[in-house]
Amino acid sequence: MLLVVGAAWAADLPKAEDCLGCHADRDLKRGAPAPGRPASLFVDPAGLKASAHGTLECVACHRTATAPHDEKLPPVSCAGCHDKARAVLAAGIHGAGKARGGRPAVACTSCHGTHQVARATTLTIETCTTCHGPQVLAYKGSIHGRSRQAGDTEAATCRSCHGPAHAAVARSNPESPVYHLNLPRTCAQCHADGELAKRHQIRVGNVYQLYMDSIHGRAVTRSGLLVSANCSDCHGSHEIKERTDPASRVFRANIPQTCGTCHAGILKVYAESVHRKPASGSAGPAAVCTDCHSAHQIRRVEAAPWQLDVIRECGGCHGAELRTYRETFHGKVTGLGFTRIAKCADCHGSHDILPASNPRSTVSPGRLVETCRQCHAKATPAFAQFHPHPDPADRARFPLLHVATVFMTALLVGTFGFFGLHTLLWLPRSMIDLLRRRRGGEGGGEAP
Amino acid sequence: MSGGGPFYFRLNLYHRILHGMVIASFLGLAVTGLPLKFADTSWGRGLSLALGGPFVAGYLHRFFAVITFTYFALHLGYVGRLIIRRRPGVFWGPDSMVPQPRDLVQLYQHVRYFLGLGGRPRFDRWAYWEKFDYWAVFWGIAIIGASGLLLWFPTFFANFLPGRVFNLAIIVHSDEALLAVGFIFLFHFFNANLRPEKFPMDPVIFTGRIDEEEFRRDHPAEYERLRAAGQLERLRTDPPARWLRNFSRAVGLSALGIGLVLVWLIISTALR
Repeated sequence: MLLVVGAAWAADLPKAEDCLGCHADRDLKRGAPAPGRPASLFVDPAGLKASAHGTLECVACHRTATAPHDEKLPPVSCAGCHDKARAVLAAGIHGAGKARGGRPAVACTSCHGTHQVARATTLTIETCTTCHGPQVLAYKGSIHGRSRQAGDTEAATCRSCHGPAHAAVARSNPESPVYHLNLPRTCAQCHADGELAKRHQIRVGNVYQLYMDSIHGRAVTRSGLLVSANCSDCHGSHEIKERTDPASRVFRANIPQTCGTCHAGILKVYAESVHRKPASGSAGPAAVCTDCHSAHQIRRVEAAPWQLDVIRECGGCHGAELRTYRETFHGKVTGLGFTRIAKCADCHGSHDILPASNPRSTVSPGRLVETCRQCHAKATPAFAQFHPHPDPADRARFPLLHVATVFMTALLVGTFGFFGLHTLLWLPRSMIDLLRRRRGGEGGGEAP
Repeated sequence: MSGGGPFYFRLNLYHRILHGMVIASFLGLAVTGLPLKFADTSWGRGLSLALGGPFVAGYLHRFFAVITFTYFALHLGYVGRLIIRRRPGVFWGPDSMVPQPRDLVQLYQHVRYFLGLGGRPRFDRWAYWEKFDYWAVFWGIAIIGASGLLLWFPTFFANFLPGRVFNLAIIVHSDEALLAVGFIFLFHFFNANLRPEKFPMDPVIFTGRIDEEEFRRDHPAEYERLRAAGQLERLRTDPPARWLRNFSRAVGLSALGIGLVLVWLIISTALR
């Protein structure tokens, strides 16, 4: 259509050759340069020819131009042709026309160029760098950016998260895909896609579903709580890295700091605990937040399911203690699904956990009675001698219990062995006797 | 099982009521205690939940424990009364529960009989396995009852005992209870009820009566002794009434059924 219109004007309007007669001159400059506009009036004919607008006449954009002209031409309105783009752009941050942070307002030409008009499909991340330099730089170091550079065309780029450039809205806008409450769904486009994860060998699991059911996910998606963690609060956004990367916010050793961004009080207590110190033979903390709370499945700590499941998490490292705990009344009742009895944290504490050798520990000899008294109001030092983790198999530490177990086992085996044999011998004889009696009256073999 | 002949009393009403309490409380203790011991099995969890959870099961367990302590005290009172009244043969002789050399001899004869090397021993009032049953319960109540009381009132007992005894009590209570449950539901059931001569059950513990044919076959020495002493006629009675026979079967077979299911669950768990 534009071409037809252009052709109709062609009779009395200047042609490109007319314009380029002057504008192909590299030294052609504006008399009084306006701020923010190029001083040069040079137009590269080859670039123009090769551009998206290569087939258009100059007057298609510069509608009032004559050849030659003395006065400055009015600004070009792209919307004259691209009216849909204008409508979309006007609703977004890029078309808001507001300058931000000392940068000029975004115009069509900021991204697409002027005479060497670039098609949207030919624009790259470098286009965004003009204004969003630090973000692009962070992105290039991220797992997404590095995957892109390695030739992965499915790795997320700017528009994957922020949406199409014309429609892009501010992060604070509830319509934005990266708005705090929308971000999980945006990340899920790829990270809840099992096929995509398989193609890229991302060991992602069903993190999206787990997160959505977690205390963080529910707060975000159900309560609309802006202060509850979404994906980027833990993983970062532009700089996002694999958890195996020591620079990652979710690298094991960095996790307490990451969680502590919001849970500052807990971090302070945890920093003093035995779990903060490296376990023997490892570099990082013995246990970090996610070891007990999980990463994406974080649940309310007041609720029974978590209180019971976390016992198993403790047992993940403290296997012998869990096994012996399960042999006591405390451990059996929690095993049956009831919480109103001592669980690991009830005696040992949780974030403030300390070894028994530390006098401040709730299980230190000095504080043990006080700890027992939480449930057993009349507990005494003698009462507190009860061992909540006895191992009768450990002869050196528990000689009495060892002997008792051996004795009880011997009694059991002895009694059952004796009467088992007794019964096995009696049964056939008894049957033979019964059959004989039925056949021939009293033949039972009574002793004379 | 029962011939047309006359019946004789073997157990008096006091014996039968106390054994009724034993049945009720023992099954109750087993059903409410096993779910805790087998808390890591699906049937343990299911049974615990069916009872209303470990705390409700705990209250019920203590209720049955009180019944146990009651019949234990009633039995000790009964024996004490016999002693005070100078009843002969409480501590020795054919009517006594005390193990005697004759029991070892009869055990030896019984094993020979099992192997086809001799006839049945001539048992008197109590065969050796019946005495074993009696003392097993006696020992069991003492051990399980004492350790159970320790665990019931730990803060009280900690006033005189070191806390380590509670660790000991847990092991003893649990293992001895497993022994008791296994012994009663396998061997007492077989010896008294399930062996072919008695199958499926011997109602004497409910009716108190034994017919002449069975009396002569199972307790020939006692039968002859009483007849010679002219005391047999004093024990002679009518056959048990129909309601009593029905009651015996209903209660006895239910108790047997519950016990066998429990012991099957335990064994299948142990063999897993």
